[in-house]
Amino acid sequence: MTKQILAAIGIGVLLAVPYVTANPFYQHLLIMVLFWTLLGAAWNLLGGFAGQVSFGHATFLGVGAYTTMLLYLKLGWSPWLGLILGGLTGALIALPIGLICFRLRGPYFSLATLAVAEIVRLVALNWESLTAGPTGLLITHLPALNWFGSPVNWESKLPFYYIAVALTLVAMGATWFISRSRLGAYLLAIREDMDSAEAAGIDTTRAKVIALAVSAFIAGLAGGFYGLYFRYIDPDAVFSISMSVEMVFIAVVGGIATTAGPIVGAVFLVTIAEIFRERFQVGHLIFYGLLMMIVIRYMPEGIWGRVRNWLPGAKARS
Amino acid sequence: MATLIQTIVSGVLTGSLYAMIAVGLTIVFGVMRIINMAHGDMVMLGMFGAYWGYALWHLDPFVSALLWVPLMFVFGMGVQRLLLRKILPSGELNTLLYTAGLSLLIANLALFFWTGDYRTINLPYALAPARPFGISIPLPAAIAFAIAIVITAVLYLFLSRTDTGRAIRATAQNPDSAALMGVDVGRIDMITFGLGTALAGAAGVLLAPSLYLYPTVGEILVVKCFVIVVLGGLGSVPGAIAGGVLLGLVESLGAVYVSVPYKDTIGFVLFLLVLLFRPAGLFGVGRS
Amino acid sequence: MTLLRVAHLTKDFGGLRAVSDLSFDLAEGELLGLIGPNGAGKTTAFNLMAGFIAPSAGKVELSGEDIVGLKPHAVVRRGIARTFQIVKPFRKLAVLENVTLAAFLHEPSRPKAEAEAVRVLETVNLSGKRDSPASDLTLGEQKRLEIARALATRPKILFLDEPMGGLNPAEIDHACELVRRIRDAGVTVILIEHHMKAIMRIADRVIVLHHGVKIADAAPSEIVRQPEVIRAYLGERAV
Repeated sequence: MTKQILAAIGIGVLLAVPYVTANPFYQHLLIMVLFWTLLGAAWNLLGGFAGQVSFGHATFLGVGAYTTMLLYLKLGWSPWLGLILGGLTGALIALPIGLICFRLRGPYFSLATLAVAEIVRLVALNWESLTAGPTGLLITHLPALNWFGSPVNWESKLPFYYIAVALTLVAMGATWFISRSRLGAYLLAIREDMDSAEAAGIDTTRAKVIALAVSAFIAGLAGGFYGLYFRYIDPDAVFSISMSVEMVFIAVVGGIATTAGPIVGAVFLVTIAEIFRERFQVGHLIFYGLLMMIVIRYMPEGIWGRVRNWLPGAKARS
Repeated sequence: MATLIQTIVSGVLTGSLYAMIAVGLTIVFGVMRIINMAHGDMVMLGMFGAYWGYALWHLDPFVSALLWVPLMFVFGMGVQRLLLRKILPSGELNTLLYTAGLSLLIANLALFFWTGDYRTINLPYALAPARPFGISIPLPAAIAFAIAIVITAVLYLFLSRTDTGRAIRATAQNPDSAALMGVDVGRIDMITFGLGTALAGAAGVLLAPSLYLYPTVGEILVVKCFVIVVLGGLGSVPGAIAGGVLLGLVESLGAVYVSVPYKDTIGFVLFLLVLLFRPAGLFGVGRS
Repeated sequence: MTLLRVAHLTKDFGGLRAVSDLSFDLAEGELLGLIGPNGAGKTTAFNLMAGFIAPSAGKVELSGEDIVGLKPHAVVRRGIARTFQIVKPFRKLAVLENVTLAAFLHEPSRPKAEAEAVRVLETVNLSGKRDSPASDLTLGEQKRLEIARALATRPKILFLDEPMGGLNPAEIDHACELVRRIRDAGVTVILIEHHMKAIMRIADRVIVLHHGVKIADAAPSEIVRQPEVIRAYLGERAV
């Protein structure tokens, strides 16, 4: 019950924000928190619930970003359609990637995803006729859009804020739904012991591929959003190892295999990044690394994983 | 023809240093079953050790190895004993994530204190490359190669002739049996990690005069290192050496004969193929 | 009625032939014991039949259908469930959840799957521990949990890999009873065991493996008298 109340309060707060602050800087911060929550949630489905630690999830982010940007810039398609297609493209390439990488287990799987991500990055960097290579893609203006009669002001951050909220709710919803379903139970079993899961009659490959596809879809959506919000992408921004690793951090620090964990992780990490940027300009990654080490050592279930046990109504969980 | 030989020589020279880095990673994996994501950053520390030694004290990098390598050994033992030992019981993946965090920490501390500016060590004797048989060999690369060979030979003797070396090999094969035979596995873990770190640091020192140095170089290096170690077979020292030289050759030949931009891709594709079809490595000596 | 037919099953690991030309039939309702000295290839045979490793040669026919090459979960779907020699429960999950996961195979809805799991836990006498994490159980209880998990998939054939290993005499008695009850309820059983007394008590028939080769296939009372078997276990002198 408490969780539902918290969730409702959370959503209320999210929707009320624009009325509370008109400061674009804070709006940007919130958008970043939502963006990282999206990515953390995406990674969490595969890495947290199913225990398949991917170090190459930036692949799907990047593919989504490039799909959205290219469909708009080269074919003139609506960016919002492009956003959804970005997600779908992410899910689509996840299938062959999954089929290859899922033949491996544990750290070997992780390394394979890293290799795939690097290959994709290098291809994007070099296939200039498609991706414009290191020059990247730039959107100078977004198409006019009418929302219930009034034109949307793309210069303001608010429209992006609401889009981010919508995407995040979709991601959280998907995670919540899966966590309560048979698939979710199967994923947790796979994380515990894949042989036992097979022995219990679970089609482990199918479960992992579904988790990956949903995960890649969400990451692809986030990628498309990134492109439209920042209006510029290049291979090193969206396909980098750092991007992949930061996704892992959000989910691990926030709480592996929990629905709300990524939110907590994103809040922590964006806040830290901001504080560091304020005082030192650089170095926030030092803290990411340190936090990661502390969490793994003392709270492998993540910050939210630990905190939720203190909430009233908590029972012993796996 | 001359180009081919030149390319091969360059490839072997670079490859020998890759090999040393890879040996460090593979012995740690062999004994502790962990993949140390921070390994590349250890190389970086060696590189910057050499750099600061040269910039501040005018210490020739190759001489400074005498200082930095033992220091890295102790540092590595410290990391294992104080940090990693507590994490190992929680499993392979948690340890992997932990070392990823450590990597981020080290690389970004370096970035913070030393900035991201590219540094170089300009040795006076590096200006004129040696030209045996018309092949250009930069002196620092040649010296590095020679020292790397010596270190590798010493390591080989250590692993095969000394008690500690044998204990390391025994633990790598079967920690439980080794413990039953009286091996202090905790101590061996510590020494092995120290050794791995020292090898990485040594490679860093040796590479420093030949490369552009920057704090985040560890990221690319560790990825290449994985490729080598998987190609050669996880846990196999000869495999790591062969894999290192192989990658050096592949990159060198790829850059000249295929195309410069895609040369790194070749390595990764090879890596995936090996992981899928010969997980015990190209030579079948590793554990899968 | 022949439920399972194994024909010329062979497995080579590099230079080692772990299972060599193994052939036998299993009739519905039988309780077959599979014995042999350590390293004889018994668990490998299970792994081959249950789809965990691929054979180098041979066929495994379940009710006439060749199941070689199917992944383990597909073999489970067709009616063969197995336990592991070294128990592998889902350690961090509760006992009930462990079994529910297997029950999901035939009951996709959680309430029904849980109800089925409760029923199965009752038959193995673990109802009292349903909410405990599996890691909290004693070895004997974990072995029963593993059997419960297998039973929840409604198998036609149950492969039990040393279910009595590590148990004290009282626990072994209970285990024998449990296995007999399972067979009486209509499940065909193949049992790998080292405890000779247990095998003698409950098996209808015994196959002996030695170095991967079947050296005997007869009723328990006859097996102990066969010279090849005595030679395999006790050496040449004992014959």
